[in-house]
Amino acid sequence: MNEMSSAQTMAPNADGVKIAIRNLNFYYGSGNPSLKNVNLSLLTNKVTAFIGPSGCGKSTLLRVLNRMYELYPNQRAEGEVLLDGQNILAPGLDVNLLRARVGMVFQKPTPFPMTIYENIAFGIRLYEKLPKSEMDGRVETALRGAALWGEVKDKLDASGLSLSGGQQQRLCIARTVAIKPEVILFDEPCSALDPISTAKVEELMDEMSTSYTIAIVTHNMQQAARISTKTAFMYMGEMVEMDDTDKMFTSPAQKRTQDYITGRFG
Amino acid sequence: MNPLYAPRRRKSKIAMALCLGATIFGLAWLTLILFTLFWNGFAGLSVALFTQMTPPPNAQGGGLLNAIVGSLILTLLGIGIGAPIGVFAGTYMAEYGRFSKITSVIRFINDILLSAPSIIIGLFVYGAVVVPMGGFSGLAGALALAVIALPVVVRTTEDMLLLVPTQLREAAVALGMPRSYMIRKITWRAARVGLVTGLLLAVARVSGETAPLLFTALSNQFWSVDLLKTMANLPVTINNFINNPDPNWKRLAWAGALLITLAVLSLNIVARSLSGGRNPK
Repeated sequence: MNEMSSAQTMAPNADGVKIAIRNLNFYYGSGNPSLKNVNLSLLTNKVTAFIGPSGCGKSTLLRVLNRMYELYPNQRAEGEVLLDGQNILAPGLDVNLLRARVGMVFQKPTPFPMTIYENIAFGIRLYEKLPKSEMDGRVETALRGAALWGEVKDKLDASGLSLSGGQQQRLCIARTVAIKPEVILFDEPCSALDPISTAKVEELMDEMSTSYTIAIVTHNMQQAARISTKTAFMYMGEMVEMDDTDKMFTSPAQKRTQDYITGRFG
Repeated sequence: MNPLYAPRRRKSKIAMALCLGATIFGLAWLTLILFTLFWNGFAGLSVALFTQMTPPPNAQGGGLLNAIVGSLILTLLGIGIGAPIGVFAGTYMAEYGRFSKITSVIRFINDILLSAPSIIIGLFVYGAVVVPMGGFSGLAGALALAVIALPVVVRTTEDMLLLVPTQLREAAVALGMPRSYMIRKITWRAARVGLVTGLLLAVARVSGETAPLLFTALSNQFWSVDLLKTMANLPVTINNFINNPDPNWKRLAWAGALLITLAVLSLNIVARSLSGGRNPK
């Protein structure tokens, strides 16, 4: 049963698969791969959580999906990552257009050194030339989408850096959503936030999951359980197990998964 | 008291006294220099300083107008040439070539240039520009100052851009921003206070340079803003006037020295207050 369901999610281009990762190896320079033959699928408009101890390759995996690793020399990925059937690791692919489709929210909130309004409008202007009135609408929509509008609507001209940490993180989510990506990658988005801000961001991700394919890396087991449909457990660069979240947290097939989830190591 | 603790306290007191003594020794000279400068300089301050040309020897009165204007032109032109090259080079090192070998080579050479005696730079420009062009010129002077400003700007630009957190770059790139756009709109912007500070420090550095101008712009007793002719400037004028027994020239030299010191001092204060107020609010 368990094998069947994971085989299903791994079927290439099957219905509902947004991203299919196949035989992925990743190297930081020479030496042993940091990701070893990873195979898994992200389902369309579902939340997939990645859990595992520090250094297991969760973030590395995420950074392959928008080719962020390319900023650094000597980092390379082998294998296939199919976004709607198209291999995004293929040479010649326009990474900027890829990143417009696959957005990313980081661990530390990173507002740009400009006003709240400009933080959102800036990204939109990369892809669309809009008249002021329409831009205003788009900025509002994005901020509403990130549940931030009510808090900032009277100070859109204030610096993005003047907001609190939780607000800054929602601003970053708004900025990502504003350019209408299809997939959003969250790299421990709540680890720098207090519990109230965390709750808000989680609520937000839950709402967003109806229209975006979401992948989230988290160290917070409860968070993974609360917000995700599928959960993948990674350990030392390998994908140990991936299944429905309910099942992963109640009766995982692998002993290592069980040990990690129950806090016996990691 | 604990027998181990007492000697330690004694040693601490001795060390503190030594440090304090060294500080006072250093500051005393600075105070003396500044006091002498102010004492002699203020005596020479007058409106004529800013309205009249440098006088011939053994004349009365006169001012430093041509030297002040010449210095402004040389400094602005030198920075105008050196700063853009420095900013682009520093940007290359911090953004595009951060992980490449060539960057560490450039950084090493730049550090040598940074500490090269300015008279060597003057000699170099003399050989490279003055001789082929057939004479001293303001242009050659500006080029010499540009070579002196360049490594300062390269260094501060690279340092300031490296202070911009990597996450900010990644966040910009994650939106699908091309790199050149990300640099112009995000990292330069995030580092702009530091970049401006670097420019101000470069201005302060070159505005007092004498040696490189001796071999290039030389000096000019008369009003001249022609870049292809010799050009009056404060440092060389001070150098010429202070070595002359004429008391009128000596007075003007002190006044000129005071002007440069005040200008450099205020530039440094502005630069410091800018970088001190970096915390965004």
